[in-house]
Amino acid sequence: MSIHYSRKSNSEADTKDIAIEFSKLLNDGMVILLNGDLGAGKTFFVKRILEQFDIQNVNSPTFSIVNEYAGKKKFYHFDFYRINNSVELIDIGIEDYFNDEDAISFVEWADLFPAVLPVKKIEIKISVLDDQSRIFDFNGYD
Amino acid sequence: MIVLGIESSCDETSVAILKDDKLTANLIASQDFHTNYGGVVPELSSRAHLQIINPLVKSALKKSNIELNNVDLIAATAGPGLIGALLVGLTYAKGLALTSNKSFIGVNHIEGHIFSGFLMQQKPEFPFLSLVVSGGHTLLLLVNNFTEIYKLGSTVDDAVGEAFDKVAKLLGLGYPGGPKIQNAALQGNADKIDFPVSDLKQKLNFSFSGLKTAVLRYVQSQGGVDKLSIQNKNDIAASFQVAAVKALTRNVKRALELYEVKTISVVGGVAANAYLKSEITKLAEKYKKNVVIPDLQFCGDNAAMIAFRGKSLYENGVRDTLSCKPFPSLSENHFLEI
Repeated sequence: MSIHYSRKSNSEADTKDIAIEFSKLLNDGMVILLNGDLGAGKTFFVKRILEQFDIQNVNSPTFSIVNEYAGKKKFYHFDFYRINNSVELIDIGIEDYFNDEDAISFVEWADLFPAVLPVKKIEIKISVLDDQSRIFDFNGYD
Repeated sequence: MIVLGIESSCDETSVAILKDDKLTANLIASQDFHTNYGGVVPELSSRAHLQIINPLVKSALKKSNIELNNVDLIAATAGPGLIGALLVGLTYAKGLALTSNKSFIGVNHIEGHIFSGFLMQQKPEFPFLSLVVSGGHTLLLLVNNFTEIYKLGSTVDDAVGEAFDKVAKLLGLGYPGGPKIQNAALQGNADKIDFPVSDLKQKLNFSFSGLKTAVLRYVQSQGGVDKLSIQNKNDIAASFQVAAVKALTRNVKRALELYEVKTISVVGGVAANAYLKSEITKLAEKYKKNVVIPDLQFCGDNAAMIAFRGKSLYENGVRDTLSCKPFPSLSENHFLEI
């Protein structure tokens, strides 16, 4: 995937525009990683993307580990934040989720357990500049 | 009537037996398995559920002095939760129902929480207001009877229990966050920092993401967690707890102004928070309502609430077939819209 670009957001409205732009690149079977500090806006960004597919009820998956949504497309929304080791992820069947060709997976805090991630993926790095501003770096890997 | 309840939606495996109105067993693997079987405390794992479930069922039957033959209904959590974890409990329950020729009902985990107050001596009276607060959920509901549940509000981002966990972690207080924050807050000054209580367009919805971020920004403004004294941390914990509880009680108050109810019931893991309990109790006294907050063993994930919910559905004529499937998510329109 030749995706390599960056965007700067100065507001929630900007972030929404960045989400709309990115959502057009999505295809079934993709795995998308979201890395960034606590409060960077990872869940917020996923929420804005899924709204483009008529899904309005996105909540944080921190406790549930994975939330599933079905709108115009099917999504798995993971959070590795409270995972203790990669065996837990293997054990909940993470490979089955990632290999689902009919769904798109989002993974928050993906950098905590890089070993379970597929080779083919898109990473979104969200960097906090100040209260309002963020840099979004998009990078595809094959 | 004897109900066997099974819960395996997430981290906990739990088995309970409800005999008429009496709970004769409510075994929770992380608490009971370790001591009884010398095994390790299970981590998040479908395999752990699989290893524990059969001994736990046997142990619950033995403790209750009941044979499987005497059970009338088997109830198991069907969702929401982790699909692999749900499959273990649900498939086990269906297999047991099939081989022992018992009735079976798949229970919604959230509905289990909603009615968990009925496991207490003093039970909620219909109609009641239910505040479901846990690591994964924050919901405000109007419950008219056992089958008519209206959703009044829910979180638009993080659950309140998650906010407690994340704030505890960023203050370096450890896990689980609820008790850690509560203890630190006891020594802290809640007026020290004015954390925001977010107010949404839909007045009965909740948001805790902004509060979490506000605490993070405050910690950063003080030079990071390593620069904080114990007193600083206690003050932050106390100020955070006040803001989080205010966000909950404010919406309960708004709902009380809008709907006529007899009882306020606060359920789920965060219902164990003493400050939330006292603030809800104050509110209830002001509005002359009863308060039902379940004991600790019914606040976290447990099978007693699943057994009770199964029983209440059974008594309302509900029966499930063995084709009942697990569902990972709560559908957007699961509860009635008011």
